[in-house]
Amino acid sequence: MKKSSPIFILKYCVFLIAVGITGCSEKSAEEPRPPMKTESLSSTPIEKTTPKPVVVTEKTRETYQWYCAQCHGIKGKGDGINAKFLTVPPRNHTKASYLETRTDEQFFEAIKFGGLSVGRAPCMPAWGNTLSDSTIHELVRYIRELCQCEAL
Amino acid sequence: MKIFNYLLMGGWLLCIPMPSHASLIQEKKCSECHRLSKDGNEKIGPDLFYAGNKFQASWLKQYLQNPVTIRSAGGTGDPDFLKGTQADSQRHPALSKKDAGQITQELMELILLDLPEKINHLEPLTKGQKAKIKYEFERTFSCISCHQSLNLAGKVRGGISGPSLVNAGNRLQARWVESWLKSPKTYSNKSRMPIYKMADETRLRLTQFISTLKNENKR
Repeated sequence: MKKSSPIFILKYCVFLIAVGITGCSEKSAEEPRPPMKTESLSSTPIEKTTPKPVVVTEKTRETYQWYCAQCHGIKGKGDGINAKFLTVPPRNHTKASYLETRTDEQFFEAIKFGGLSVGRAPCMPAWGNTLSDSTIHELVRYIRELCQCEAL
Repeated sequence: MKIFNYLLMGGWLLCIPMPSHASLIQEKKCSECHRLSKDGNEKIGPDLFYAGNKFQASWLKQYLQNPVTIRSAGGTGDPDFLKGTQADSQRHPALSKKDAGQITQELMELILLDLPEKINHLEPLTKGQKAKIKYEFERTFSCISCHQSLNLAGKVRGGISGPSLVNAGNRLQARWVESWLKSPKTYSNKSRMPIYKMADETRLRLTQFISTLKNENKR
């Protein structure tokens, strides 16, 4: 398959590095690069286990619409009103081919601590001070519902 | 004698001027689109019950005469907000210079809490500090994903779901920005913005950075 060729992997790595260097809405070379650790992200430990089964409710959908849809779009297609202003497009939550390569824990971390925490774009802020862990677990389930996929 | 005292006191009470923000704000029906107290549901326009904390009087006076778009996606409470079809549809009516002056005066009296004046007059950021906090504005806190601001070359960059910060340095009082970042729930229970916990020092720097964003720095 073409996708697994070394050239593709190389291109992918270059893209990842480029994404890591640039900000969210411009390609700027003038920015300094202090360490990535931040005050807001380092304090709270990650909750690794989910004791109860997580259920997506109407409230979960409302939460998604209120916060996430600004960038990820009303239907989760990555086409929210901010999308075209960001250098790194928001994740399309209906695209199973990518999302099945990610674990629920990675989703959880990305939402709670922001995109950078899981090596993704810095465009997504940390929601850990805004949303409770249980709400975030529900959102993870909801994204699984949107992509109709599970982690492989 | 006692009756005379009561009469005197009654007359004195009558002489106390009533709070003046009832007048032109009421006459112009601002409350149809703006909340003037924290009670009730949020309305289509931004809350004004803390206008005196939030805005700079000079900006208000200018804005009321020549309204400009601050939220190009419309208000967050608008049902069509997420559809991206609201651009410029909610233009504020323009007022005469005289009315704008009076309403500004009335709005500046709408104070929710006492904020420290000194934050409005902090030492300007050094070039290094500014570069560092700009980085945090964009990457650590991801503000730029939802707010337009100016990059170091003076170009407008950023998302539109939040209010534009391009002219925030002229529009907002620094002490309100700091207070909002510290405790947004004081002002609104229904913001779409994430809540941030950051060191006081970082918050002050971020506030100062936002205060440097001005139309006149746009290129």
